[in-house]
Amino acid sequence: MTNAELLALVRKNPISIGCGVLALLLGGGVYYRGGQVPDVEAELAQKSSEGERLSSNLKNAAQLQEHFDALVSANKAIDARIVRASQFGKNLQYFYKLETETAVKLVTDPRLSPPSAKKDPKAAYVAIPVNLSVQGTMPQLLGFLRQLESGTHYCRVLTFSLAGSPDRKSPLSLSINLELLGLP
Amino acid sequence: MLPFLKKKSDAAAAPLVPAWHPNFRNFEKLPDIKVVRTAFFINGAAVSAALALLIYFGMQEWQLRGLNAQIADWQRQIDQNKPGSDRAVALHKKFQAEELKITEVAAFVKSKQLVSDLILHLGQSLPSNIAFDGLDLRDTGLVLRLTVRGTSDAALGYATTYLEQLRADKQLTAFDEFSITTSTRNPATGRLAVEMFLRLRTTPKKP
Repeated sequence: MTNAELLALVRKNPISIGCGVLALLLGGGVYYRGGQVPDVEAELAQKSSEGERLSSNLKNAAQLQEHFDALVSANKAIDARIVRASQFGKNLQYFYKLETETAVKLVTDPRLSPPSAKKDPKAAYVAIPVNLSVQGTMPQLLGFLRQLESGTHYCRVLTFSLAGSPDRKSPLSLSINLELLGLP
Repeated sequence: MLPFLKKKSDAAAAPLVPAWHPNFRNFEKLPDIKVVRTAFFINGAAVSAALALLIYFGMQEWQLRGLNAQIADWQRQIDQNKPGSDRAVALHKKFQAEELKITEVAAFVKSKQLVSDLILHLGQSLPSNIAFDGLDLRDTGLVLRLTVRGTSDAALGYATTYLEQLRADKQLTAFDEFSITTSTRNPATGRLAVEMFLRLRTTPKKP
């Protein structure tokens, strides 16, 4: 088909050919732009997710500073009750003070062992094993135990042995194997 | 004359011959005499297709415009909230570090039963005809050494009743097994020496 014939065909059918060309162009546009829709939707999903996350962070952090301050002050209070394994004299003094306060008698000096290895590497504190052997009446020993368990330092009794004498008038003996929460 | 007696016409028998005159009609130049012209359908289809595509394209562009506007909104919000959020995240990490210390202390304190409370409770719930000779808390459980007053059979009955009492005690949930391990008569006093074992649960019972 020559150019003249083509031109004649166009002149003869201007509407159908014009619409056909327009439809072709629009089809190309739909194809090209339609491919962008999933990408734009994915970008919107990502942005909205990030936006909601940031917004949620801000919303949840409304009282975070106050809570953090409360935790810091609580940890300061805890820190004052934590035993330092290196301060051997001070730690011994703690048990002698308990002995005086509760009127029990320490049969042997308290034996503080080196801190046991941390089970969790992220753990802040270590357990410091202590062996005690005391004598006293039942109320004295109970007072001593109570002072230990709810006293200055955090303490947990692992094992104990409480025994009396046959005549029931001699003082009772209490051997305790405990752990204090401390820092190396 | 009857019809079947008439002679048949020769015209029907004559062979078909082409028209005697040439057809001078020029169909291309003659007007289209159809009620609806073919061009109408072609133009109509072309216009419809173009129109449909135009509408579809327009809707798609509108959708893209809306999505881009939403993205711009979110981006503006992200830019606005990011500094505050970053500060909050950093503070939260510090919070977690502080919280970890408190959790550790709480776990340490709760990991074992208060021994003073245990002894006090055992002393308070002890029957009048039974006395403690000793208590021994081990890793596996608690050993109770008792002296029971009474004749052998009665004393053993008291000890068994006491064991049942311990088993039913709601405050001794840390133990899951209660048993009498030894029972011997003391010849000097005539009393029965009984040893009981309360086995510690391997996993603590939830209250």
